[in-house]
Amino acid sequence: MEITQQTLAQRSHSALQNVTLQLALKRATGRFVELRRKATANLPEWEELRERARQIKEHTLNHLDYYLEQLAERVTALGGKVYWASTGEDVCHYINQLACSRGVKTAVKSKSMATEEVELNQALEAAGVRPVETDLGEYIIQLARERPTHIIAPAIHKTREQIGDLFADKLQVMRTEVVEELTAIAREKLRNEFLSAEMGITGVNFAIAETGTIVLVENEGNIRLSTQLPPLHVALMGIEKVIPRFADLAVFLRLLPRSATGQLMSSYVSFITGPKRLERGRIEPEFHLVIMDNGRTRMLADEKMRESLYCIRCGACLNVCPVYQKIGGQAYGWIYPGPIGAVITPQLQSLQKASELPFASSLCGACKDACPVKINLPDLLLQLRHQVNSTATTTTKLDAQKLGERLAMRAYSVMVRHPKWFAAAGRVMRKLAQILADGGKITHSGVPPLKEWTDYRDFPAPAGKSFRERWQEQNEQ
Amino acid sequence: MSDNERNRVLTEIRRALGRKTTMQPAPLLPFDHGKTERWNEGLVIRFKQVLEATGGKVHEARDAEEVAACIAQICHRAAATEVALSGSSLLQELNLAAQLALRQLSVSAADEFAHRSYEEVIAHLARCDVGVTAVEDALAETGTLSLSSDEQHALLVSLLPPIHIAVLQPHQIKASLAEVLSQLKAERTSRQEPAQSATFITGPSRTGDIELTLSVGVHGPKELHAIILADQHSIGRAASSLDSLNTAPQ
Repeated sequence: MEITQQTLAQRSHSALQNVTLQLALKRATGRFVELRRKATANLPEWEELRERARQIKEHTLNHLDYYLEQLAERVTALGGKVYWASTGEDVCHYINQLACSRGVKTAVKSKSMATEEVELNQALEAAGVRPVETDLGEYIIQLARERPTHIIAPAIHKTREQIGDLFADKLQVMRTEVVEELTAIAREKLRNEFLSAEMGITGVNFAIAETGTIVLVENEGNIRLSTQLPPLHVALMGIEKVIPRFADLAVFLRLLPRSATGQLMSSYVSFITGPKRLERGRIEPEFHLVIMDNGRTRMLADEKMRESLYCIRCGACLNVCPVYQKIGGQAYGWIYPGPIGAVITPQLQSLQKASELPFASSLCGACKDACPVKINLPDLLLQLRHQVNSTATTTTKLDAQKLGERLAMRAYSVMVRHPKWFAAAGRVMRKLAQILADGGKITHSGVPPLKEWTDYRDFPAPAGKSFRERWQEQNEQ
Repeated sequence: MSDNERNRVLTEIRRALGRKTTMQPAPLLPFDHGKTERWNEGLVIRFKQVLEATGGKVHEARDAEEVAACIAQICHRAAATEVALSGSSLLQELNLAAQLALRQLSVSAADEFAHRSYEEVIAHLARCDVGVTAVEDALAETGTLSLSSDEQHALLVSLLPPIHIAVLQPHQIKASLAEVLSQLKAERTSRQEPAQSATFITGPSRTGDIELTLSVGVHGPKELHAIILADQHSIGRAASSLDSLNTAPQ
């Protein structure tokens, strides 16, 4: 999926105008935050687990070549096939060829950020294979031809009435607004797809190097069906998904469900070690593991940014982010939203294409506190801001603004070092502010730099006298 | 060709890490997973409470007769008639196929459809109302059942019918995730033919994808029942685990 051309401000603006979305975001993020808080509160070793998870990720990435080779060797020994893809095009090309050579007409897909990243669905469709998203939220999004709003709950921006209309229109069923009936409709339609699909496509949550086992975490059962029913299973993983040992899962499986949905354990965790072994099947079962770089080695090479690869895609940082809570997932322009999206989109796409994203944060640090692997997201965002500023070209409007900013900062730095100038400037600013103020607030300034603020929020008018002035008066009395 | 692809990706990774060849990693320092002793007082009680909190139902049985009666009752309440059994030695030992047939249920056991093709087995199970399996292990901390492809057709029997009933014994309920995982690892490293697939099941299939409203049975079973069969039935253990069952809060 191409990153959108609209500016972040345009996208945010339309998100802020969308009443349904605002309500859905408020409910969803509030609910997830509360569930996560409850699930982590009664686990005394929570902090130790986070620390351990970080250690494991750091260790694994430092020896990524070793563990990926071990993983590939195990999978191959089990009779599976491993394909190494440098780019997204490589991934699509491989899976398309595989599908065509096996005569695949329908592929059932379970939710996978990696397949979205490489636009696998579009590639499959172009090759004449029909991809069917089977996670309920993704199924709704696919029918509506839209983009997901949330990593964990892709269709939270749609109401049950809208989904009722959508199902009646696209699936030729009686219209209903009852959630259970809508779910039952999807179950029946998708069950038939599962029973007839020739290929199942999934992502990977964790890949265990020592046994060649891939691990998938879900609540609905569509991943179990995608991996158990069709004889051909293709799993796509980014290079950072490998972990060394089975024992390491005892850390990650306690962190991931609690952080994502506040569950102690997700409804289903599947462990798949090589191809199915069927004594009597019409078709020889196959298991293909696609290991994908697609820009990740760039993150790996940058020691400061490397920890972006620790992410286990739980979505906790989205829910606590004050920016995400207001603008939602689509405003981030690509498939990865929230603080982690603002960090990895510029790295996976390019800094030029996503230069605004690192600035879409108040740097409050809530994401860092919520992250189960303790990724220092505010630091990474600052690092990217620095990169954006130091690589900017000289002729754009953005740069005129930046030049102004730089001059203002320099002037400020001189001023704060001279107490008399500082006091004088304060007096001037207070006078100006009082002229603009109305009833203790500046509501519409109309003055350029301040306007950006007052167009959306009131600015409290400053007091008539500064603290220093009052202090002096007090001492004189 | 595939070797080229492999080398290209690995070379990029090594370049990013600033080296030319792969280094053997020093093992990670060991980690103490456990503060799990807090469940040691009552693994069964904990298991029961947590599984029920996820929407699963827990039943208790003293012998084969009671297991069959319990299954029959679940079927009766759901107006279900077609029951599939996985190929588990525990279910065979309990003679469940015959016991359930006596209770007017139409039963198909894994050994009966062993001669059918995989596709036929799937089509058959998709028409069944209830699937009955045993388990490899269970986890008290999270109320989780661990099933393995070692138990013939257990993964499909527990997935395709809208009701799943698992029969387990108290000694199978483990305190820590680390213990359950080390069992899974052993099944994949110590044998000529490692277990291909395993599934953790914690409650019924669920989704909150429409307006965050919980809806069960979206793709997997709507109902999950765990029948805990007293240990001394087949293994002759002391009655202690049954006692802990009986003192469980209702």
